[in-house]
Amino acid sequence: MHLETVAAAAVGMTGSLGNVGYGLAAIGAGIGIGLVVSKTIESIARQPELASRLQVTMWIGIAFTEALALIALATPFIFGK
Amino acid sequence: MFDDVGSVMTKVLKFGLWLILGISIIGSLVGYLMAGMSGVFGALAGGSAVLIFTGMTALSILIGSKLPLAGFVGAVLGGWLIKMVLFLIMFTLLDKASWLTLEARPIVFFTIVASVIGGLILDTRIVSKARFPVVTGKP
Repeated sequence: MHLETVAAAAVGMTGSLGNVGYGLAAIGAGIGIGLVVSKTIESIARQPELASRLQVTMWIGIAFTEALALIALATPFIFGK
Repeated sequence: MFDDVGSVMTKVLKFGLWLILGISIIGSLVGYLMAGMSGVFGALAGGSAVLIFTGMTALSILIGSKLPLAGFVGAVLGGWLIKMVLFLIMFTLLDKASWLTLEARPIVFFTIVASVIGGLILDTRIVSKARFPVVTGKP
């Protein structure tokens, strides 16, 4: 696609930039949580007797990963308007 | 004597509720001084948002731990997906709310950040103090 065509399309763009921000915030946390869960499944498959400990450790990993997404979702309240 | 997923998650939910309640009350007081009643509602909205967000994760693991491995993964990741959609709707409605004045908007943000950071400290402390048996089954 030519640069002029892209520029012409961008000029006609409408909508909220917040939606783009929401998408970006969800990408990072989505990848992070996917990795945490997949590694936990691997570990439980290797050592099922540690499932209880691994599930709780996984939960701490998820809590830290999604904290960034939650803060990113709240940023329009301070940077918006 | 020993902990399991259920006891740790119950503790997290119980203490997390008290922590976020405390932060919401402090936020409401600051909000009232800064932006009047709009600040109070803003702090309460921020606190309840974090309570739902973090509570749903703990609850999904509590439910998932009683299911087989596929059910556990479905509960955790499915819960996360539902949560993100709910949050998008919630923040969009809050963003357009007429009762949330311009002065009260930072109160929402700082209540959310304080609750998230406080919640993470509490979670880490509870998990690091938990005692898990390495061997399962009857002796």
